Amino acid sequence: MIKIENLKAEIDGTEILKGLDLTINNGEVHAVMGPNGAGKSTLSYVLAGRDGYEVTAGSAELDGENILEMEAEERAAAGLFLAFQYPVEIPGVQMTTFLKTALNAVRQARGEEELDAIGLLKLMKSTCKNLGISDEMMKRAVNVGFSGGEKKRNEVLQMAMLEPKFAVLDETDSGLDIDALRIVADGVNALRAKERSFLVITHYQRLLDYIKPDYVHVLADGKIIKSGGPELAHELEEKGYAEILSTYEKEAA
Amino acid sequence: MTLMKSLPTQKLERWKYTNLPARLKKFEREIATAEITFDGLNDLIMPYTNDNPDWVNEITSRSPAGEAQYKDMALWTAANDAPQDGYIIDVPVNYQTGKPLTMIMTGGNAEQVSPRFIIRLARGAELTLIEHQTGEGAYWNNAVMQIEIGDGAIFNHYRFQDNSHDAVMTVNTHAQIARNGQYNAFTLTTGASMSRNQIHADLKGEGAACYLNGVNLLDGKRLGDTTITVEHQAPHCESRQDYRSVVGDQATGVFQGKVHVHQIAQQTDGYQLSNSLLLSQQATMNTKPELEIYADDVKCSHGTTSGMLDKDALFYLQARGIPKAQARALLIQAFISEVTEQITHDDIREQATAIIEKWLTAL
Ligand SMILES: Nc1ncnc2c1ncn2[C@@H]1O[C@H](COP(=O)(O)OP(=O)(O)OP(=O)(O)O)[C@@H](O)[C@H]1O
Ligand SMILES: [Mg+2]
Repeated sequence: MIKIENLKAEIDGTEILKGLDLTINNGEVHAVMGPNGAGKSTLSYVLAGRDGYEVTAGSAELDGENILEMEAEERAAAGLFLAFQYPVEIPGVQMTTFLKTALNAVRQARGEEELDAIGLLKLMKSTCKNLGISDEMMKRAVNVGFSGGEKKRNEVLQMAMLEPKFAVLDETDSGLDIDALRIVADGVNALRAKERSFLVITHYQRLLDYIKPDYVHVLADGKIIKSGGPELAHELEEKGYAEILSTYEKEAA
Repeated sequence: MTLMKSLPTQKLERWKYTNLPARLKKFEREIATAEITFDGLNDLIMPYTNDNPDWVNEITSRSPAGEAQYKDMALWTAANDAPQDGYIIDVPVNYQTGKPLTMIMTGGNAEQVSPRFIIRLARGAELTLIEHQTGEGAYWNNAVMQIEIGDGAIFNHYRFQDNSHDAVMTVNTHAQIARNGQYNAFTLTTGASMSRNQIHADLKGEGAACYLNGVNLLDGKRLGDTTITVEHQAPHCESRQDYRSVVGDQATGVFQGKVHVHQIAQQTDGYQLSNSLLLSQQATMNTKPELEIYADDVKCSHGTTSGMLDKDALFYLQARGIPKAQARALLIQAFISEVTEQITHDDIREQATAIIEKWLTAL
């Protein structure tokens, strides 16, 4: 379970998250939608522990542990996973080396046994197959020369291998063709489990046809300004954010 | 003693970034004989003595490596003061072997040594030499290596400089390469408080080539200097210099690479790249590429970059659970791999990787 309370965060002195509350129970999928620049990626980075953000108030607890105090790698070991909106290219680091290092670091931190080369290869192959990723890509450097869609699939591959408790998917659907969207969604659905929760950030209702959320939230002005069931996504798709935003502004005033 | 008086100072253009006298002032030492051992191919080796074969005397009597270039003759001729220190490696015509020759040079505290090495590869011969430099305490090793590569001969030369962090290492290498001969050098520096690797390569015959690669890993207050001159003295020759420096803490890296293309050296292919990675704000890298071209039909280029670790890449790795130190090590290895991957001998590449990993773990 992830519990975010009154989270406030700044970048270079500018407040981006302005008191955000969000609780996701185990087994639930929550979607977050919101206009460009609302702070969605900021939320995901603050949770994942990227440098450059200053948390000025609030907390974020994963199964009762405050993750905001931890290093990024400790959060990953604790079970947090972020599928990046813009996956990073790392020339010179081969995918296989990267996955092996990451998986064993996380396993070690979780007190699990390390995987040997053969075990890793097996796991990598089967996960690749499920996600329609060719083995050849595992010989290339991390994300280097990957197409936009391949990068997104690669994020889901890493998620599947690292088996997080809580995953944030930041616009994992953007840049995917129709078939790839389906494959990625199937990949995510396959990971849905009683003890795992998801935060799915998206601009499009279409993804939510495949990954059915339990709740939908609107993030604007650094806060969750409205929450509802899956029908909220349909409403937004039809009407846009204008009405919700003006209601929010009136209430705020 | 004469050596101490005539040390090159920073007033010399080629020494402006590197203060050798200051580094040497830090410790006392006495002239000694270098501890050198070989492993394998013993029939090629003989000690360098007072009474050497004529061809050896002929090589030693040659003015080593362009007096005008370096103006630091004291280092190149220091070995004359210790005439019984060093080895001769003589590789006969068309000699081939799958086995490399390993040489280990071990420095001891308070020693000052000036070993000389004369290496000759006759026509069509091929030799791979792995040179390990190691030691304990504060010592100064000023080695001179004169290499003569005959027609079509190939000399693969790996240098692993894992000297004591209190030592000073100056290496003066002069290679002369005849027609279609090849000098392939790879230097990995992980030790010494100060190291200066001077390589002077003369491409003397048509089709001669030299590939000079290196990785300089610097931490603490160490200084690592690579100074190269390649003389293209014949047509159709090729030279490559490909270096990576990783500079941490308050360390200093120096790369000076000069390519001199003589008027006769038409169709020269010369290339030089020196990239560096700075791990801290106090780390310094001095790079000075120089092209001097007197022929009109040549292909010559040089490049240099200097940067810090990519923060986004670092975060991406950490976000996948890889601890920061390990993530940094991965990125540093990736940076270096552009050069280490060029090592064609698998087991030698593994030796290099192991030394690099050892350095990274201690970082
Ligand atoms: N270094 C920075 N300095 C100042 N403002 C920044 C900085 N980085 C991001 N921002 C601002 O923070 C705000 C939130 O950005 P964020 O990336 O979280 O938006 P988002 O909701 O993910 O948008 P999108 O839907 O376009 O991905 C934006 O207005 C952005 O310009
Ligand atoms: Mg975003």
